[in-house]
Amino acid sequence: MDSVHYIQELFTARLPFFPSNIRASLFIMLFCIIAFTELYLYIITRRLKQTWERAREAKYKEKITNMLAHIVLYDEDDVTDAVNHFVPRFKKLPLRDKAVRELLVKELLDYHANFTGKTAEILKGLYLGLKLDRAARRKIKSRYWETQVEGIREVTQMWIREDADLILKLTDDENSQLRMEAQTAFVKLSSDDPFRFLDRARERILEWHQLVLFEVITKTRNVQIPSFSKWLSSRNDSVVMLCLKLVKHYQQLDAIPDLIRLLMHPNLKIRSKTINILGILEAEMAEEDLFNMYFDQPVEIKTEIIKAMGRISSGNYLEFLKSRTQTDDFKIRMDAFRSIKLHGAEGRELLNNIYQVTTSQNKAIINHVLDERIKG
Amino acid sequence: MVEDEELMLKSLEFRLKKDGYQVFAAKDGVNALELIKEHQFDLIITDIMLPFVGGLEIVSKVKTDPATKNTPVIVLSAVGLENVVLEAFQLGADDFITKPFNLSELSIRVKKHVKQPTF
Repeated sequence: MDSVHYIQELFTARLPFFPSNIRASLFIMLFCIIAFTELYLYIITRRLKQTWERAREAKYKEKITNMLAHIVLYDEDDVTDAVNHFVPRFKKLPLRDKAVRELLVKELLDYHANFTGKTAEILKGLYLGLKLDRAARRKIKSRYWETQVEGIREVTQMWIREDADLILKLTDDENSQLRMEAQTAFVKLSSDDPFRFLDRARERILEWHQLVLFEVITKTRNVQIPSFSKWLSSRNDSVVMLCLKLVKHYQQLDAIPDLIRLLMHPNLKIRSKTINILGILEAEMAEEDLFNMYFDQPVEIKTEIIKAMGRISSGNYLEFLKSRTQTDDFKIRMDAFRSIKLHGAEGRELLNNIYQVTTSQNKAIINHVLDERIKG
Repeated sequence: MVEDEELMLKSLEFRLKKDGYQVFAAKDGVNALELIKEHQFDLIITDIMLPFVGGLEIVSKVKTDPATKNTPVIVLSAVGLENVVLEAFQLGADDFITKPFNLSELSIRVKKHVKQPTF
């Protein structure tokens, strides 16, 4: 009590008698004591709250885990009956509490990702029966992109196809992360036209995102594969690049006329990829166009044209390929010799004839090209 | 049964018990190897991705130990880990199941490898 009285007296009766620097120091000390006390109180309450929340979360997690694990024990063959059996039990959880609801959604999603068949169908039924899809839809409509992504992932994991149209609107969003999630989700969820988003894609599809989309398109079951030539005339170069990769993957021969039109494309990468695909599709009808454009192109395109002619190997342009073995550019010469070799017996005979009359460096290239141990 | 995801471990344990098997569950590779040392199992089911000691190491240890080399091992793997599955086969794994999987498929495969339920 004495110390309290002393402090009280210090800040009341005795304060006016101190010099100003001592008074300032006393006020600073007082401020620090109050601030630190408040800070410690804040930290303690926060830690207590966190501990309480963690304990509560652990309690509900265990409860939810047990409830979900029991689904596998349920003998009912009919999925609807099983869902009707479990929904009332899960409704007993305090789902109005956001933390519990999010916990249940997380566990349901993780669980659903591991199973197919009846178990997966019951889990989806449970998700819908508990109206958790409504919360996911609200997330998709959120103002924050992170929440939108969360919502998209949720409906995609649960295969809620009805939400495809809602997601379509986000496939051309300014935010690249959101755009990517939406496009990937739309391909998976849209049952009638999974590539509709390409019609409206104005934003660039980044290269690594093209890889992700390519993976999703080629690995997702039951995706209706259209003719990708439809988008080869898109003004969005990244859409054209993606469709070129898909034309190549699905070997879409009907795209050859559109590919020939693309040979005039101002984008060097698109031109190069187009030539590469024409070669892979062995598009003999494109050879004349390739020949006509050759002399106006940079070296990287020239080499692609030579490689494509080798893959097509119709024999119509063997003389042209032979003439390319006389150029100064080593890369062009190497590719020309390889392309001649790809022409089978006729090509080998030509290589032997060239060998008799060519330079020592070219002879070395021919030996290299004809060496079966080396893959070109 | 070796699986680090608690929910999966519990579900698979329930399912296999329901099918009439006696199940020993381990949440990580270290625990699994201890159990394998102490008991003689009819079948080992292990996830590939595990904390501390991975599924491949478990396969390798089981198949190189003369006491356990005849115990069939089924590996659980996620889609896209085909190379790891190949490696598991090279180490001697007997079968694999890709996640997501159908529980009935698991039952059938287990039945194929364990002729008689032990009860």
